[in-house]
Amino acid sequence: MTPAEAAGHVVEALSGGEPLVEVVVVGTESKEVRLGERLLVWKGRSAGSLGDVMLDRAAAAAAKEVLESRCSRSVQIGAASLFLEPHYPPDELVIVGAGHIARPLCRFGSMLGFRVTVLDDRPSFATRERFPEAAKVIRADFSDPFRGVPLGRGSHLILVTRGHKYDYDALRDVLLRGVDLAYIGMVGSQRRVRAALEQLVKEGIARSALEKVYAPIGLDIGAETPEEIAISIVAELVRVRRGGTGVSLRDQARVLERWIVDPRKPATKEP
Amino acid sequence: MTETHIVFDAAVAAAQDGRRAILATIVRAKGSTPRGVGSRMLIDVERGLVGTVGGGCGEAQVIEAAKEVLEHGTPQVVRVDLTEDLFSWSPAVCGGIFDVLIERI
Repeated sequence: MTPAEAAGHVVEALSGGEPLVEVVVVGTESKEVRLGERLLVWKGRSAGSLGDVMLDRAAAAAAKEVLESRCSRSVQIGAASLFLEPHYPPDELVIVGAGHIARPLCRFGSMLGFRVTVLDDRPSFATRERFPEAAKVIRADFSDPFRGVPLGRGSHLILVTRGHKYDYDALRDVLLRGVDLAYIGMVGSQRRVRAALEQLVKEGIARSALEKVYAPIGLDIGAETPEEIAISIVAELVRVRRGGTGVSLRDQARVLERWIVDPRKPATKEP
Repeated sequence: MTETHIVFDAAVAAAQDGRRAILATIVRAKGSTPRGVGSRMLIDVERGLVGTVGGGCGEAQVIEAAKEVLEHGTPQVVRVDLTEDLFSWSPAVCGGIFDVLIERI
């Protein structure tokens, strides 16, 4: 299979098709197995070949694990060194509310590889022109905001409507569904958030479900403008996705403090 | 759209239009490298670069090897070594090594 043929299948997977693992030979000491040979592995089928049936079989087994873990890896099987990379459709980012923060959010989210959906009940706000990077812009009815919007484990939900009541209703709606989302965040001052959470507890929403809600939304970077707030929110999305701390790397590594001797101070031992 | 998606789209388009192009993929990385494993770049002879495997000297080395692969058609794995003396102030100071698979599409 040529790289271009493989690319065609990968594009299909990335555009919402069935996830696949691309297996490619990146090192070989066998004459049958050539550099660059490819095998594509889906859940129940495969295409292409690495040049050896037994190798294909072993590679397909390794590919199944990669399909599950979603993490690329290298494996050595016999004389062949293989690179396995999963390709799956992008994560969903659903932005409820199409106001000032939503615009840069949609742009940054799209830059980060999310497939962005924007919802609002105001026709003049929920427009293509305002959200050129969005996959979908939906004129929603806030009494049933998620109608026609599938929410699942890969979904990231951001509640930034013009009114706390709408944010609250949408949050309540999604929590009552009991779907385990990748991320839920809601804007609001500490006071507003407290009122919302108290109300949700009264309505019988489990504490464990509320613990997953990022409210107030975003990382503390002192954001004020809509663009800055959007950065603070997408930074939180990255942190949740990759598992960082949100702390400045400088303050974590403390290179100056630990390694660069200050002549004004007596030398101290590294704790 | 993710970078991978953009690069693969460009590869499909180049193949459909019959343009000559090279796909470069980082398949191994050790230490600190500008881009991670799975980063890709398409070198379309007529349209230029799509995506990146890290820029700078390493990428220049990849483009150099790509010319050879384009000519002979045999894929290659090129090792880019960025472990030069950290204080030489050369652009290649990330401190890592990575391997790039270079192949004609």
